[in-house]
Amino acid sequence: PPCGPVENKKVLYGRQPYPDNYVDRRFLAELRRNVGVQQLRYWSVAREAGLVGQQVSCVAVFVALWSSLDGGALPPAALLWGGLLAALLGYGLHGALGGGTGGRTRWADLQSAAIFLAFTFGFSPVLKTLTESVSTDTVYAMSALMLLAHLLFFPYARPSPPGSLSLNAALFGSVCLASRLPGALHAFAMLTWALLLFALWPCLLQRLRDRAPRAFPWAAALVSLAGVGGLSGLWPGGSVLLLLTLLALTLACPLLLVRLQRHKDNIHGPWDEAEIREDLSRFLD
Amino acid sequence: CGVLLTTATFAPPTPALVRSHRATARAAGSGRHRICMVSDFFYPNMGGVESHIYQLSQCLVEQGHKVVIATHAYGDRRGVRYLTRGLKVYYLPLQVMYNQSTSTTCFHSLPLLRCVFVRERITVVHAHSSFSAMAHDALFHAKTMGLNTVFTDHSLFGFADVSSVLTNKLLTVSLCDTNHIICVSYTSKENTVLRAGLDPEIVSVIPNAVDPTEFTPDPGRRDDSKITVVVVSRLVYRKGIDLLGGIIPELCAKHPDLCFLIGGEGPKRIVLEEVREKYQLHDRVRLLGALDHKDVRDVLVQGHIFLNTSLTEAFCMAIVEGASCGLQVVSTCVGGIPEVLPDEMVTLCEPTVRSLCDGLEIVIARQRSGSVPSPASIHRRVETLYTWRNVAERTEKVYNRVSGQEVLSLDRRLTRLTSHCGSVAGAIFAFIAVLNYLFLLLLQWLIPDDVIDIAIDGSGPQSCWTQTSSKKGKRKANQIL
Amino acid sequence: MADDSLTDIYGNRIGVACRCHSDLCREVTVSGPKLSLRSVLVYTCGVWLLAYAAFCCTENTAVLSCAIILTLVGLMVYIHFFKVDHESLLIIGSLGVQLSSSYASGRECTSFIEMSKIKDVVINEAVYMHRVIYYLCILIKDPADPHAVSSVLPLFQSSKPRLKCLIEVYKTCQEILAQS
Repeated sequence: PPCGPVENKKVLYGRQPYPDNYVDRRFLAELRRNVGVQQLRYWSVAREAGLVGQQVSCVAVFVALWSSLDGGALPPAALLWGGLLAALLGYGLHGALGGGTGGRTRWADLQSAAIFLAFTFGFSPVLKTLTESVSTDTVYAMSALMLLAHLLFFPYARPSPPGSLSLNAALFGSVCLASRLPGALHAFAMLTWALLLFALWPCLLQRLRDRAPRAFPWAAALVSLAGVGGLSGLWPGGSVLLLLTLLALTLACPLLLVRLQRHKDNIHGPWDEAEIREDLSRFLD
Repeated sequence: CGVLLTTATFAPPTPALVRSHRATARAAGSGRHRICMVSDFFYPNMGGVESHIYQLSQCLVEQGHKVVIATHAYGDRRGVRYLTRGLKVYYLPLQVMYNQSTSTTCFHSLPLLRCVFVRERITVVHAHSSFSAMAHDALFHAKTMGLNTVFTDHSLFGFADVSSVLTNKLLTVSLCDTNHIICVSYTSKENTVLRAGLDPEIVSVIPNAVDPTEFTPDPGRRDDSKITVVVVSRLVYRKGIDLLGGIIPELCAKHPDLCFLIGGEGPKRIVLEEVREKYQLHDRVRLLGALDHKDVRDVLVQGHIFLNTSLTEAFCMAIVEGASCGLQVVSTCVGGIPEVLPDEMVTLCEPTVRSLCDGLEIVIARQRSGSVPSPASIHRRVETLYTWRNVAERTEKVYNRVSGQEVLSLDRRLTRLTSHCGSVAGAIFAFIAVLNYLFLLLLQWLIPDDVIDIAIDGSGPQSCWTQTSSKKGKRKANQIL
Repeated sequence: MADDSLTDIYGNRIGVACRCHSDLCREVTVSGPKLSLRSVLVYTCGVWLLAYAAFCCTENTAVLSCAIILTLVGLMVYIHFFKVDHESLLIIGSLGVQLSSSYASGRECTSFIEMSKIKDVVINEAVYMHRVIYYLCILIKDPADPHAVSSVLPLFQSSKPRLKCLIEVYKTCQEILAQS
């Protein structure tokens, strides 16, 4: 340790009494490790992972609906009534969980719903001819790819509003699938369900996560079960596969993450680039 | 003398030992070095690294060393050029990839750099800047050729993201068998030691300097009826221009006689323009655009306060330049900045709008009450703090130390690479080192060293440089005859 | 000045002869290495072996005759257009400089530069094929501005002598230029 009359100060101006490569005891004294790293707990990670699982299930539910509609097991009218019921239930729940959605009135909500439904209804006969020249294999491959893209680009950190890329991919995939259904009403029912599942459900789920954190895992579990159940009637092997995927996603992956957490070694020190934490956009609005 | 030198630097030095250390350094200093500075960044490109290399080389030439500079060709500027005092610059035709940095293949630059090293009889290769691929290539080739190597790091890096993980790995490989490393501040030293996994004993801290004759105060140029804040920096995120965009409206609202003078260009200019537009500050915030190096002083002397809002900085040349022009300096306290100026010459703030505004308010109040020292006295003080001659003397000591060390032989270099850089990267680069050595053998067989003409020294002990004659070739040859 | 130790930049031996015709007139001749029989044989054999390999695959005798013609024509083109036997620099005080290069076939290329156009003769450095070399060159005056240099004319471009030889030639040139 330096014991001379002059302490080796950490300054660059002025001559130091030591050679330039001298290493004093305060070298790396300001080194910090893992600053601000939050210790993850297994169940909280698993809860968040439930969101990923339920989104995978959503896609499975959608495919199951399409398949039963295509096979004729489900009449389109029943599906539409179911959709209406689900929409009203969801809307009520959404309202019950706290209003004040940026000053939108019920009338405005009804208007946009009516516009969407009218457009979808008007254009559903066109869908049939839209993909007529494309082979069925291509349409299936395309929709599979699009639904996969939806899952990959879904903004899991904050599902509401749904990311434009993932929402567009999902809607494009559902249009592809709907165009292969036998009738115009079938296509219309399918598209309304696509909107329900891929556009509105994430918003409701986000609201649920914010306002009723206890109910959120149950909702996710419900959707997951619906996915597995819906797929089991269609393709039992697939439903087992989905179940295994869901278990791996929600239980095994968080375990791995928590285990790997132990090896985290972030180095911080005065050399780090300072972060601007405040909101500077207020000066420009 | 190398042994004595190292013991002297390793032990906690008593005054007597320090004296003996200096004495040995001076004794070794009588041996003149032939140094090749290598970096992608050199004039006509402008920046801190460029002027560092130029000023350091000039002072080393003045001390009697031979210095040549190797960089890549800048447009039309290719071949060999001479600068003041016979400083020779090789603009080598190497392909520029990105941001004025050449590509690194570890091989393609070997023939040219070998030719330069052999014909100039280089003893020490000094590479600059971790952003420069050519510098790393030169270190690699110099070690293959058995030359001593020194590296100067001018920048700070983080550890968090993928790109810095990769660059840090490359730096580890590049520096694990380099003889000595120079950093520009203590913070930079800590950063480099951590990034490259080095022994801190082989890392020296030698700051940058400014040319005090270039940055002189001129109080007559400023308008004392108002208070002018000067900012000179590239307008990029890392320089904290977003913070500046918050400071301007806050302070302009409070002080009607406050003006901002902003020099520099960059993608964040739009932020400042929007602020100026929104708060109607066209007459009080002047954006000067890109500045030539020679114009910087003219801008600085027009202000009372120099503001630096950088978010990261290894050694902030700009605040020293500002202080040298006699301005009050307000700066963020990041990286190596707190080490640069004495407390009474700089007001350090946290990198937030609030803290910077508070710091500026204090200085504005001091300026109004007239309790600030005069520009001339600040300038005189800065003049003594940093000089290039001091930097050159300290760098010279590094050269003396390095030239006493032996360069690792190929087998020991391979052991070092594999043991020090991890199994995968170490093995890959050990393989590249072997290939590089074989390539060197091939080149030596094609063009033996004794077939390469030894260059006539432009600087150094046998320098033939004279100030009087004007024609390059004639001057050179006249001296030989 | 005939020195056995003079080489070109590749380490091949070259001959340098300086003839003093008078005080004001000197001629420097740099002769490159002669066309060696060995290299001719190596190249010819190489081409013929390739041709024979191609013949084995195609069983077409035209390949062989083509190869023979190719080597002959190639050799002729090489000695007529590429292989410089010697280059000479004739410098006559107050008159000018004559540069001539004669090819192995006997063909000669000559050019003459008036003294009034010559600004100076200097040794310069350049990057050439992955190395940095010295070369001798004539600086040509800019007709508009007598102090400026409009172009640079390199000397001994084919034989590329090393610095030691260039300095000798440089001294010779400077002696004459100083007189005129």
